[in-house]
Amino acid sequence: MTNFIDFLLGGFSNGAVIALMALALVMVWRSTRMVNFAQVGQAMFTTYIALTVQQSTGNWLLALAVAMGAGLILGIVVFFLVIRPVKNSDTTGAIIATFGVLIALQAGAGMVWGGDPEGFIPPVSNAGLEFAGRIWPVSLYDILVWVVTAALVIGLTLLFTKTSLGLSMRASAFNPEVARLSGVRVNRMLITGWAIAGATGAVGGVLIAPVSTISPNSFDILLVFAFTAAVIGGLDSLVGAVTFGIGTGLVISLVSGYTDASNAPVVALVLLALNLLLKPDGVFSHHGSRSV
Amino acid sequence: MLLIENLSVSYGAVQALKDVSIEVPHGSVTAVIGANGAGKSTLMRTLAGLEKPQSGQVTFNGEVISGRKPEDIVRMGIALVPEGRSTIPELTVEDNLKLGGMWRSHAQRNASLSRVYTLFPVLSERKSMRADTLSGGERQQLAIGRALMTGPQVLLLDEPSLGLAPLIVTQILELVARMAWDSGLAVLLVEQNATVALRIARSGVVLNLGEVVKSGPAAEIASDEELRHAYLGY
Repeated sequence: MTNFIDFLLGGFSNGAVIALMALALVMVWRSTRMVNFAQVGQAMFTTYIALTVQQSTGNWLLALAVAMGAGLILGIVVFFLVIRPVKNSDTTGAIIATFGVLIALQAGAGMVWGGDPEGFIPPVSNAGLEFAGRIWPVSLYDILVWVVTAALVIGLTLLFTKTSLGLSMRASAFNPEVARLSGVRVNRMLITGWAIAGATGAVGGVLIAPVSTISPNSFDILLVFAFTAAVIGGLDSLVGAVTFGIGTGLVISLVSGYTDASNAPVVALVLLALNLLLKPDGVFSHHGSRSV
Repeated sequence: MLLIENLSVSYGAVQALKDVSIEVPHGSVTAVIGANGAGKSTLMRTLAGLEKPQSGQVTFNGEVISGRKPEDIVRMGIALVPEGRSTIPELTVEDNLKLGGMWRSHAQRNASLSRVYTLFPVLSERKSMRADTLSGGERQQLAIGRALMTGPQVLLLDEPSLGLAPLIVTQILELVARMAWDSGLAVLLVEQNATVALRIARSGVVLNLGEVVKSGPAAEIASDEELRHAYLGY
């Protein structure tokens, strides 16, 4: 039982980061009805930028802010470079193009920062906290990860539900034609969606870096987990992405704890397959049907 | 005034509109009637900027609007209520309304919102409910309400009677006619239900296979039996 609780507690931080990456995938899906496989590549790239900032200034908050800004810009750049030219002709082409961007970003990062894994120093202690006579699998840094994730999720929720920009973005996702007829500049909303997704992914990258290492390919596995969470959540539901992002983190932690860490991706893919067999629209989907 | 001059639109090889000219003056309803496939919806979608004209032009108070984007046309004061009660079912009634005219000032939008709630009290009662919980008639009111939120000078109504009970159709259309009269709105109404449309309109246009076959005072068209038999099928 103690093991079980430890594994669960240990899974929350990973779950939070998976939730952020899943959120990024969902925001892109909502704006342009496609999966951006370059999302983790963008996060990896902005995390390297954050690493550079942290190494030269020692300021973690500044590094996080720079990564978010870089994520916004990179989201817009990817939209214009790849999505715009192919979008009108066919979505499949655009999705494949995002794989191209992923590979280009990984190669680019390798050229700039080298291929060796680098450590990212956490701003607060990464050691398990001692409480009630034992050491728990929760560190100060874990708590920081939860707080930043919660703040970002609350911020995004307020943005989407309480502001005019959020209403315009939701309307553009649900029904672009009605949105345009109401005066919404839908194309700008799509770009905004990609930009916010880029910044969200960037935060996820900076948060996960100190507990893993960073290399051009180190976030690849994150894509598998985030994609699983996003699809199970219904691909267009922000609530679904967060819920199943954290859920995926917990499952991975349990699987890794009781068996072996190398089984985690397999379990994620099995969950994904089961979801597509039993409830292909996802659990939180707004729509009656969707094609995967 | 909205002026449509020699407008032609085609979808590939299919000519949907041929040399159509219509004047839509302020302060009254102009009805476009015709059978299925007459090109009525194409006309409305082209006016709103959703389709590009092949030739001809549309001007509003002397400014050319044809060929512009829908989001720019609505900002100039021309609002379309598309066919099929196009509300966004996932959003609440109030969010559907607030979506209209987001570029306008806060004060203007609040004034429009309270005006819409006065015109359609049922929308005020249901403002925090999702739009898909509304009945067909309520949803049509919501669609018209959203168009009014953009502060239009021209209202384009595409087939508002579709699937609604006759009593509700009469109510909605009479309200629209009164609005045109009271606030100088120019209304272009497209209808298959010619009887109701011609009753509230000042002038009428009969469209057949993409061409104007007759235009004139609504009463004149309503009483033209030959025309009715030939193009309207009753």
